[in-house]
Amino acid sequence: MLKLQDLTKAYRTDEVETVALNNVNIEIEHGEFVAIMGPSGCGKSTLLNIVGMLDTPTSGHYFFNGEDVAGYSEAQLGVIRKQHIGFIFQSFNLIDELSVFENIELALLYHDIPASERKERVAAVMDKVGIAHRAKHMPSQLSGGQQQRVAVARAVVGNQSMILADEPTGNLDTAHGQEVMEMLQKLNEEGTTIVMVTHSPSHADYARRTINLLDGHVVTESMRA
Amino acid sequence: MMIVTNYIVTSWRHILRHKLFSAINVLGLAVGLAAVMLIALFVRDELSYDNNWSKGDRIFRTHTSFSPPGRDPMHFVSTPGPVMEALKKDFPQIELATRVLRTRPMLVDGDTLTVEEITLVDPDAVNIFDFNLISGDIEKAVSGNNTIALNETLANKYFAGENPLGQIVTLDFDIFKRDYIVEAVIGDWPEKSQIHIKSMALIVEEDWSESAWIFEDWFSLDAHMFFALRERGNISEISNQLSAFIDRNFPKFPIGDPNEAVSSRVGLEVVNIKDLHLKSSGVGDYRPRGNINTVMTFSAIATLILIIASINFMNLSTARASQRAREVSMRKVVGASKKTLVLQFLGESVLLTLIGLLIALAIVEISLPLYNGILGEEYIVNYGGTDLMQIFILAVIVGLLGGLYPAFILSGFRPAEILKANQSIESGASVKLRSALVIIQFSVSIGLFVSTAVVFGQMQYAKNMDLGFSKDNLVTITGITRDVVQEKFSLLVSEIKRIPETTDVTWASFVPGQTFENNTSVRTPELSQEETIIVSNRRIGEDFLKTFDIELIAGRDYQVGRNDERADTDVILAGNGHRASLILNQTAVRQLGLGDAEAAIGKTVYMGVGNVEARGEAEYEVIGVTKDIHFESLRSNARAEIYPLQSNFARSITVRYTGEPQEIVDKLNDIWQKEFPELSFNYRHLTDAIDGQYTEEQGQATMFAAFSGLAILIACLGLYGLASFTAERRTKEIGIRKVMGAKIIDIVKLLLWQFSKPVIVANLIAWPLSFYAMSRWLESFAYRIDNILIISFCLIAGLAALMIAWGTVAGNSIRVARTNPIKALRYE
Repeated sequence: MLKLQDLTKAYRTDEVETVALNNVNIEIEHGEFVAIMGPSGCGKSTLLNIVGMLDTPTSGHYFFNGEDVAGYSEAQLGVIRKQHIGFIFQSFNLIDELSVFENIELALLYHDIPASERKERVAAVMDKVGIAHRAKHMPSQLSGGQQQRVAVARAVVGNQSMILADEPTGNLDTAHGQEVMEMLQKLNEEGTTIVMVTHSPSHADYARRTINLLDGHVVTESMRA
Repeated sequence: MMIVTNYIVTSWRHILRHKLFSAINVLGLAVGLAAVMLIALFVRDELSYDNNWSKGDRIFRTHTSFSPPGRDPMHFVSTPGPVMEALKKDFPQIELATRVLRTRPMLVDGDTLTVEEITLVDPDAVNIFDFNLISGDIEKAVSGNNTIALNETLANKYFAGENPLGQIVTLDFDIFKRDYIVEAVIGDWPEKSQIHIKSMALIVEEDWSESAWIFEDWFSLDAHMFFALRERGNISEISNQLSAFIDRNFPKFPIGDPNEAVSSRVGLEVVNIKDLHLKSSGVGDYRPRGNINTVMTFSAIATLILIIASINFMNLSTARASQRAREVSMRKVVGASKKTLVLQFLGESVLLTLIGLLIALAIVEISLPLYNGILGEEYIVNYGGTDLMQIFILAVIVGLLGGLYPAFILSGFRPAEILKANQSIESGASVKLRSALVIIQFSVSIGLFVSTAVVFGQMQYAKNMDLGFSKDNLVTITGITRDVVQEKFSLLVSEIKRIPETTDVTWASFVPGQTFENNTSVRTPELSQEETIIVSNRRIGEDFLKTFDIELIAGRDYQVGRNDERADTDVILAGNGHRASLILNQTAVRQLGLGDAEAAIGKTVYMGVGNVEARGEAEYEVIGVTKDIHFESLRSNARAEIYPLQSNFARSITVRYTGEPQEIVDKLNDIWQKEFPELSFNYRHLTDAIDGQYTEEQGQATMFAAFSGLAILIACLGLYGLASFTAERRTKEIGIRKVMGAKIIDIVKLLLWQFSKPVIVANLIAWPLSFYAMSRWLESFAYRIDNILIISFCLIAGLAALMIAWGTVAGNSIRVARTNPIKALRYE
């Protein structure tokens, strides 16, 4: 599905150049569940942002479905992103002023989908993550676990083939974290590729492959049966 | 002490660090304060008229109104001559009374004759008003028929370097000529007074027996009349009794049913001297009046501008609250109380306001010459006096008001919530309040825009309206009523005709472009003598229609040699008159019931002549009908007017010319100087005279437009600031939307829409209000633009407001929309 080849990302200020990712080579197949681990500042988030096409690499290649998107403009990346990639964030990133329904619908709003179809699809996905009864609530009225379920619903409502999850359980207690992980596992079983950044080894265990990053390098890759 | 230093340092650094925020706040306040100062100069000046008379509360002027049958009531600020004695007799509450009559005799100084203005008064005048006596005995100066009090201007003009007291001045009033002894020198009359007494002499009625009506006729309005009540006198005791007074003292009204009470045709009104400038109406004031509505309107605009500037302040400060949340929280954590924080933020806003005040003073100084030019005034800011203190206090109040709400919002933050997470800490209420304030700002701006457009539209309309004659290339000579001029009248006209640039010459009993009232009663044979109709009697000379380019819609013009002019009054009274010719206007034809213009030709009209003792009627045949012609302002409706021919008297000569205006004026002046070297040459281009009627309105319209523009500018400044902060506040949301696939254009649309909503609501509020107000305003004009135009102005204003709002917000929105979303969604 995607292949990173000699990927480097460097941040420059006037005086200092900080290398966030150095010569990273990663390949991820369709339907994989990959966990990315490593200490703070190792480049996990930068990697996820580049994979999610929210950021562009300084050098190297990024093949997405065989296409090298490394040199694409923001607008070109946007088109691919909204078709293929869903995001889940540690801090949920729901829009406070919109209801649960509207937050999920947002992911369809920019896809030229008629309102009736949007309604159906949002209703279906809400059922799937078990928050249909909360459709009209505002995010502030929900628990953290429920908010993250809304975020998951938003990530998959557009039939995205890949979900990028950035510490999805970081702001949740154990029980709720568990719940979200099970949901991700279920999505993966249904065929969605999942790339997840996490600090929690137990949550990383849900993934079939774990990539360990340190100071911008891939240090180990471990597979699980 | 330490903590104060800390506050000042924090405030100052905050101001410096957030340059956009500070600039918008300070500039908005500065422009607002400057506008308020300029308007305050105007308002204070208007309110200062006649405020300092020691008997001010007790001094009144009587105003008169006549309501002849078939004529709208006519209001005058003058009073018939005999009223004064009758009032004093009937109302013992009156302590002092005087008439004040402006005359323009010629002052004979050796060989030169100069027209000077002399005010004639009754002896009480010196005790009613506070004269500034420079030398001599003022009571003596108005006690005899050959004494005079000169004002400083005249004293300096004729007796520079000498003692004027005891000197002789010779005055020629046409009716009589006399040597006057200067008994007193008085200071020039104050500028800020609605009345104007210049050099002053006593009214001696016997001297004026040739024009006896001035002081004796109950229906002739010539002099003003003032009286002073006794101390503790109650004016309502007099004003309630005026109708009865009129019925007791006035003779029967000369026109209409003789059995009617004269009080139904004549009205008297008493007006306190302090109200003369702004709150009185009527024809005949010696100085231009102000208008209380104008003063109120501009006061309101000043208030609105200040409110808009304060709203900016509140909006920007609360919008920025989240950015200062950490500072507030940390201060609280280390022990600051809510009170000290409120003080800190109030101090900060006052500091900003005072910086704004300095800029405002600079703006005022720079714009004052221009402002004075527009209004024709000479306002100055008196920095030494209380002016500076007042504006300083105002600025502090604005600072406190604008800072109060933000101060409480900011100081109300709970540190635990703020420090825990960088979450949206703004309550929905403060967001709503901000929207409401933006709506208010834009409603006001749109309302002002519409009002300005209507005022200007009406001015343009009035200027370009068809007056019924062509006002270009006409020059009018006035000041020709003196005997010396009238004697040489035909000579003067024929000499003017000989100027090559002269196309046509005519004369008239009135001065085109100046207010004129001369009413005559006319009737047709079908109407009885009690059913006469009051028409405006404008007597015209030969070639009048030709000179003014007035179109006859039926009939013919007067022709030399056809005996068109009526006989003299005494001939008619003796029964020896002949059937003369008459041209009248459409309205007169209609009111007399003569049918249409063609049908009127050849019909008979009688015109009343003579006076109360000897009345007769002149018989006319209608020979021509003109369209309605507007020689005066368009504030009044076209009246019924007749234009009889008169060859032997005129108040003005009008010349139509070709070539340069100055060339004809020079040549006319040459002729005048040759014939009347002792008299000054008075002329006016008719275009100036007609347009001049709108100078004051033009000035005020310009002022109105300028201040409305300022209000809109300040509102936009605020919107700009608000937009940039809102965009910042919504970065997280925008980031999410972009991640979800929103394009830049989607985000820009989203933000534009957010700011369009309040503007649209503002339109919905402003439109009906401005429509109502401006259609009411237009009602004061007889000829006015259509109300439909107000609606289109509303639409234009609404669209303009949207465009301005978009223009203001767009730059920011695009910048924010282009930001990389990961910056917005950054992790803690």
